[in-house]
This record gives sequence, C-alpha cells and structure tokens, in this order.
Amino acid sequence: MPKADVWQGTLALMILRTLQTLGPMHGYGIARRIEQTSGHELSLNYGTLYPALLKLEQEGYVASAWGASENNRRARFYRLTRAGRGQVEREAREWERATGIVARFLAPGESR
Amino acid sequence: MRTLRGWLLRALGHFSRSRNDLDFAAELDSHLAMQVEENLRAGMTPDEARRQARLKLGGMAAAMERQRDQGGLLLLDEVGRDLRLALRSLRRNPGYTVAAVMTLALGIGANVATFSVVHAVLLRPLPFPDPDRLVQLFATSASGDTHEVVSHPDFTDWSRAGSFEQLGAFAGSSLTVSGAGAAELVSGLRVSASLFPTLGATAARGRLFTAEDEKPGALPVAILSDGFWKRQYGGTPDAIGRVVRVEDVAFTIVGVLPAGFRAPVGRPVQMYLPLQVDPDRGHGFLRVIGRLRRGVGLAGARAELGLITERLASTYPRTNASVGAHLVPLAEAMAQDVRPGLLLLAGVVLLVLLIACANVAGLMLARGSVRRRELAVRAALGAGRGRLVRQLLVESLVLSLGGGLAALVIGSWTAAGVAAMLAADLRAIPRLETTHTDAWVLAFTLVLSVVTGLVSGAAPAFAAASARGSEALREGQRSGTGSHAPRLRRGLVVAETALALVLLAGGGVLLKALLTLQATPPGFRAGKMLAADLWLPQPRLARLADRARYYEEALARLRALPGVRSAAFVADLPLNGGSDGLGFHITGRPDPAPDQPFQASFNLATAGYFHTMGIPTVAGREFGDRDRAGTPAVVVVNETAARRFWPGRSPLGERIELPLEIRQPEQHEHGSGATTTTLITLTVVGVTADVRQATLALPPRPELFLSAMQAELPWPWTVLVARTARDPETLSGAVRDALLAADPNVPVVRVSTVESILSRSTAEPRVWAVLVGAFAGLALLLAAVGLYGLIAFSVSQRAHEIGVRVALGAARTTIVGMVLKEGLGLSLLGTATGLAGATAATRLLARLAAGVEAHDPWTLSAVTALLLAVGLAASYPPARRAARVDPATTLRGD
Repeated sequence: MPKADVWQGTLALMILRTLQTLGPMHGYGIARRIEQTSGHELSLNYGTLYPALLKLEQEGYVASAWGASENNRRARFYRLTRAGRGQVEREAREWERATGIVARFLAPGESR
Repeated sequence: MRTLRGWLLRALGHFSRSRNDLDFAAELDSHLAMQVEENLRAGMTPDEARRQARLKLGGMAAAMERQRDQGGLLLLDEVGRDLRLALRSLRRNPGYTVAAVMTLALGIGANVATFSVVHAVLLRPLPFPDPDRLVQLFATSASGDTHEVVSHPDFTDWSRAGSFEQLGAFAGSSLTVSGAGAAELVSGLRVSASLFPTLGATAARGRLFTAEDEKPGALPVAILSDGFWKRQYGGTPDAIGRVVRVEDVAFTIVGVLPAGFRAPVGRPVQMYLPLQVDPDRGHGFLRVIGRLRRGVGLAGARAELGLITERLASTYPRTNASVGAHLVPLAEAMAQDVRPGLLLLAGVVLLVLLIACANVAGLMLARGSVRRRELAVRAALGAGRGRLVRQLLVESLVLSLGGGLAALVIGSWTAAGVAAMLAADLRAIPRLETTHTDAWVLAFTLVLSVVTGLVSGAAPAFAAASARGSEALREGQRSGTGSHAPRLRRGLVVAETALALVLLAGGGVLLKALLTLQATPPGFRAGKMLAADLWLPQPRLARLADRARYYEEALARLRALPGVRSAAFVADLPLNGGSDGLGFHITGRPDPAPDQPFQASFNLATAGYFHTMGIPTVAGREFGDRDRAGTPAVVVVNETAARRFWPGRSPLGERIELPLEIRQPEQHEHGSGATTTTLITLTVVGVTADVRQATLALPPRPELFLSAMQAELPWPWTVLVARTARDPETLSGAVRDALLAADPNVPVVRVSTVESILSRSTAEPRVWAVLVGAFAGLALLLAAVGLYGLIAFSVSQRAHEIGVRVALGAARTTIVGMVLKEGLGLSLLGTATGLAGATAATRLLARLAAGVEAHDPWTLSAVTALLLAVGLAASYPPARRAARVDPATTLRGD
C-alpha cells in the first residue's frame, strides 16, 4: 500500500503539535517524529518541511536558535512560542470540526 | 530569471528578515548529516547513506528555492512574475505598446532635452574648486539696476571685507593683436592679479599675474588661453617670453592657462592682460568675483558689504551716494540672462509631459475596460486587489521605462539642437557648450520615467482593479458602460485639451509678438547691403586726423570696387548693438534742470551715410564732403529729436553745445591719460527719418548725428556700410580685402549682410517663439491623439447601439453628427477649462518677453479655434467609421 502524502494545511498543525509534545527540536527530529507518529504511513517530503517551519516562524508561532544536537552536532532548534501554543489549540479545534463534518457525511444509514 | 534574482539578492542585500541563504544551507547540512548518520546506523554504505539522505530531502536546490519564496524575496519574486506578465501582455498588443511608448518618449524626451540644457547652464557645479563659495558682486544704482559694474577704488575697498578670502575683478575688452599679417581682434579680459587665485586657477605653463604687474610702469605682460596658445604658437613651450603686439604695445607672454579653464563669461577668452588701475571712483567698469570664507553665508557677506557701501556713500557722496552692493552666487549670476527663458521652457515641457501622461492613462483605461474580463477572472481565481493594482502599475512602469529609454535618444538629439539654436541666435550663454548627456541626465531620465509610470498608471490601475468582478464577468466583453473608467477618460481628455490650450496660447502670443516685430519697418532699406564691423586701434587711430585719413582711404578703395554703389562709415549701425547717450545744451535756451542737460543718443557718420542706408532726409541736408575738420561743425537730427527738442518749428539753423570729455591718447598702456573738457558748438543742418536703433521693439529715441570727419569722439568701434548692385554675399571677400588694404592694422571683426543683422535683431524672440511653439505643437498633437483614441474607442464600444440606430433608420449623417458632437463637446469643455490658465500664461509671458500683450483676445480666439478645429478633425475618422457600421454584423453578435 502506497504511503499517503501530507495533506495541504495539515503539516503546520503536525509541526506545532510535535513541538508541543517534544519541546524544542531540530528540523530532522521533527521530521522523524512526524513519520513515527503516523506509524510510517506518511511520506514526508523534507523539502517542504523547512519552508513550513520558516513560515511558522514568520507568523510568530515558533522561534528558533542554533544549538547542539544529542550527538553534539550543530543544529537549529525550534520551539513553540506562546502564540504558537494558542495556535495549536485553534488548529486542532478546526481540524476536529472539519473531520467531524466529513465523518457525518461518511456515517452510514442516516438518510431521511 | 534565476540568475537575475540571485544578482538582485546580492545587490539588494538581505531581503529576508531572520535568515539568509548561508544560514539555511547550514541548517540543511546539519539535517543531511543527521540523516546520513542514521542511515549508516541502519547499515548502509557511506555512499548509499549520502545518496538516500539527499533523495529524502527532495532535492537541495528545490528546497532552497522554496525557502527563498517563503522568505523576504517573495515580493521581488512576485514583481518578477508581474514583469513577465506585463511583457507578455504588452507583446500581445504591439499597437497599444508602440503608441504608449512613443507618447511617453516624446513627453519625457522634451523634458530630458530641457533638463540637459538647464543642467549645463544653471545647475552643474562650476568648474572651479569649491564652486559653492564663489559669488559675483555687483554695484547697485539709484535707478534700481542691481547688476552694475564696479569702479576700481570701490573694488579695492570691497576687497577688505572679512567675509571673503579674496576678491578678483575683471573687465572684458576686445584686443587688437597685430604683428605678422593682418591685425586680428581677439576677445580679451583685463584681470586683477587676485582673480585667478580667487577662482582657484593655476597656470599650465609659466606664471599667473602678480600685484607687481598691476603697478604703473610695470613691464606689460600677457597670459594666453590654451586654445590661443595652440592656434597662434602651435603649443610650443617657448611661447613663454615671446612678445606679442596688443593695441600697438609690446606685451611679453608670461603664462598659459590650462586647457579646461574657462573664464566665467559668455564668450571664450583668448588673452588676459593685467587690470589697469583707474582712480576714478565714478567710473564703473569692473565685474567682481569673490570667494567666501568657509562658514560665511551669503546673508553675512551681504550684511558686511552693506556696511562698507554705506560708509563709502558717506565718505564719497558725489560718486557713491546711491551705490550699494548686490551679491549673487556666481553660477546664478552667469546665467541670469537666460534663466527666465530656460525655466519657462522647463515649465512648458512639464505641461507637455502631463499631457502625455494623461494620454497614456487614457489608453490604459481603454485597455482596462477591454481587459475587465481578464482581470475579473484573475480576481475570481484569488488575486487580491493589491495584486491586480501592482500588476497594472508594473505594466505602466514597463511602458514608461521603455519610453524613457527612447526619450534618452530623442532628448539628447533635441538637447543638441536646442543648444545649437540658442548658441547661434542668442548672446553668448556661459556653459551652454557643456550640454551633454551625463550621469545626472541619465538619473533624471530614470526618475522621471518612474514618476511618469506611476502618475500615468495610478488612476487606470485603481479604476481597473476596483471594478467589481462578478459584474464584469456577467457583462462579458462588451463592458465599459456602468464603470467609472469612461468618465475618468473623458476627464483626462478634457484636461489634456485645457493644457494644450495653455501652451498654444503661450506659443501664440510669442509668435504674434515675433510677427509684429518682423513686420515693423526698421526705417532703412536692408536689401543688397553689406556691413563690416571694424575696431579702430586706439593709440594708432585715436586722433581725428588719423581716423579721417583712414576713412577716406578706405572709402576711396571701396567706391572703386565694381558692384559697390555707395559706402559710408557709421559708429553705431541700427540694430547692431547699442548707442551712446550724451548730454548737451541748446544755445539760447535753459537746460531742463540745473546740472541736467538735454539727453539724446549720439552717433557718428561720414558723408552719404543716410543715402547709402536708404534713410530719407526730411529737411535740410545730410553730411557731405564739405563737412570736415576746419569747416563749421554740423549736426543732423532724427525726426523724434526734432519733435522733442524743437517742437512746432524747424530745427534747421539751431545751435547746440556739446561738452566733450576727451581723454588724451594714452602714451603708455598703463598711463592714464589726462582728461580735458571742451564745449563744441554745432549747427543743425538736416532732419532725417527715424530708424529703429536699439531694437525693433522699442520706438525710436532722439538721436543726433555728428560728422565722423569733424567730431573728436575717439570711439574705437565703427561700421562700414556699402550698398551693392548685386547679391551682397558675393562682395564680402572683396570688401574685406579692400578694408585691410586701406590699413592692415585695423582688424575687420565681421562682415555680414544687413539683412542678416536685421534677422539677428529678432533672434531672441524668434528662438523662444520657435521653442515654445514647437512644444505647443507637440502638445496639440498629443491632445488630438488622445481625443481621437477616446472617440474611436467610444465608437467601437457603441457599435452595437449604433447598429440598432442604423437598423431603426437613422441617417448616416446623423450618426456622423452624433460622434462629432461628442468630440466637439469634449474639446469645448477642455478649452473652457483651459481659458483661465491660458490667460494667466499670456500675462506671465507679457512680463517676461518684450512685445507680448498681456490681454490678447484675438490670439486667444485664434488658438481656441485651432484647438476646436483639430478636435473636430480628430473626431472625424471615428465618425466616418461609425457611419459605416453594418447593423447586420453588429446585431448578429447578440
């Protein structure tokens, strides 16, 4: 079974959520974590990850700084800002609402 | 595109706020390294581990690219996209593009040309060190003239002012240089030793003047310009120390100036001599230049000079009671004559550019209406309003930059033409010859192009972008009605017409003043006449007997020339320069006021002058051969003088007394001759018709003629006039030869036909009339094109409606009339709007130019009629097209 692509607009939510649970993390770590969390069902194009990170940073939801990785390698670490924490809640609610709506359509036997 | 962006990125520095490319590359590197490590841990070979890592990252370059898009380069990138879009869109509409670019090229080009000249003459820093600190100092007089020359003692006293590092003075003079061959008249400057240091000039060879050179009895020395040195001495270094004869005095050449040096006067100077000290405080003849001390402003220097002149006024009340000082930055003083004209021209071309802008804005609005569907689709697909405005503005900027590029070519040609015209026809304008396309002109063109693009693009862009999308989509192609774009276009055409009227009125009154001037009879017959300007070298021909001998010798040779009918000398030929005013008494009558004699212009002439010129003798006789030294002194007066001084009776036989201050011929270049005043009595023997002496524009003044053979007036200037039997041009060489044969030491400055002198006298009004007229013509053309475009567009938009009308039986003439009425209505509205501006322009010109009437309803009516006629003509082709509309075709469209 082919892996699913990351849906438009959900990558930001995944990143934010990952940072919320993991705390400060570098780009590679975030990518690995997203793949793990999806049970390796998602194929994440790392090329799209960094632009998304930069966009989040410009929007003020994440902040970044250079630091040392677990293997003492230089890496840029991202962390959630206060605005970012609010944004996770908002986006999560939005997502639940949207999936709820879609779920209602898909639910069997509720015809008039 | 990518390399361009990379270049722009480097050129513009950091666009992104938080990261730059290097930083991001490091981040990707670190990402790769972690991936490679993990792959290695998973058991891959190092090569495979690296390859897989890269693959997983999805292509480094693509990632970088997207990163940049997310960063600060977004705007630049989108502008690049807009640019591509604009170019594509313009390429698809070559007619529109060419029309807009050409219109802008003409409008911007006119401005570039004028700026080139204005920059060279008015704005560019003077070619001296620290030019901002250089000022020119003038004397002011009781009569309100603020640009008077300064006397030598005043100059010396002014030089003590602490506001200046130094003052330098100079006086222009024509110098007769003789030696080998025919004498030559060169333009010279007598300068104070302090002048060159004040300007910051150094000698290229030899030395400059010192204070010693100014002292009486010093060895006469001269400094040459680089050009004169190269021309006369072949640029040899041993010219220094050689002797040159100037006004029959031997001068030793001590220095040569650098090639780039230009004295701050209009004509190029060839030779510099030391200034002669003239102790007469009442005799102003100097132009003074000062270098302000560092930190001293104009106001401070003015205040100090004010104090000095006040003190001089109280110490020397006889000469200095009303002498003040006037201080002007040197660059401004040099251009004072031509400044108003050039600024006027700058205003004119700015109006032309406004018209061009309005025209292009109109074109863009028209295109906007056609493109509404395209724009609506784009808006529906998510392009924001700002995005659409930006795209349209970029399009307009592309057009204006294209226009600016063409304008640079048109402008530099036109600038060369305008400069050549000004140089040929006007008095010498300092620095005019430095007109060229330099970095400043390029910068001006660029800035003007961008501003033009924004100005002409703003209204159409917002109008097009604000049209409601859904409406546009519903209306489909045949839109345009219901939006406010057409009303805006009409407004633009009305404004264009109004501006064109202003310019036409200005050009019209200038042209009328010129025609009036050219139709003014000068009072003499100019055809088939030659005039030779001569300069009588002073020590040699200062005495009357020597001059008389020269006159007779020259006239005898000239009259012997085949083709010469008659010849005579006159000091001041009409319309050939100035005339000298003198005071005189009338025997047996009191002066108008004590210490204030009668005033008139005085002139010198030999026998047969009036006959040669074709000036009728009204009463009595003109000069004859009997009027010579030893016979009773006679005077001939013009009609205006006869009326003014002897009203109601004949002046014949009346006597006048003329006090003549005669400076004895100077024995030495630096000796100041003694002055004696003698009162000579003259009898009026004739009255001659008036001529326009100073300019054609001014009515004749009272003028009294003395016999050149009798009067001890040692004026060095004289003109030989000869009436010829055939084309005077063919005789000019023979006349010059005859004059040089009479005395090779008398330089012939210029031989020209009297026709050309007459034409030269109207040169200044002609230059301005031609320039303003040409730009007004351009404005008229642009306005006509604008109106044509609007009407043609309106007809094409209304093709459906017209088709219905024709189908319902409207006559073709009705359709033509309907369209013409629309064009005429707009023209009428435009002229009505422009009338106030036109009146103001006329009034402004009346203050600036001689002969322009402040209220000239006839000219105003004429240009209004012209504008309306052109408006009708511009509307006619679209009207014809409308009449040919085939209802079957247009109605089938539905």
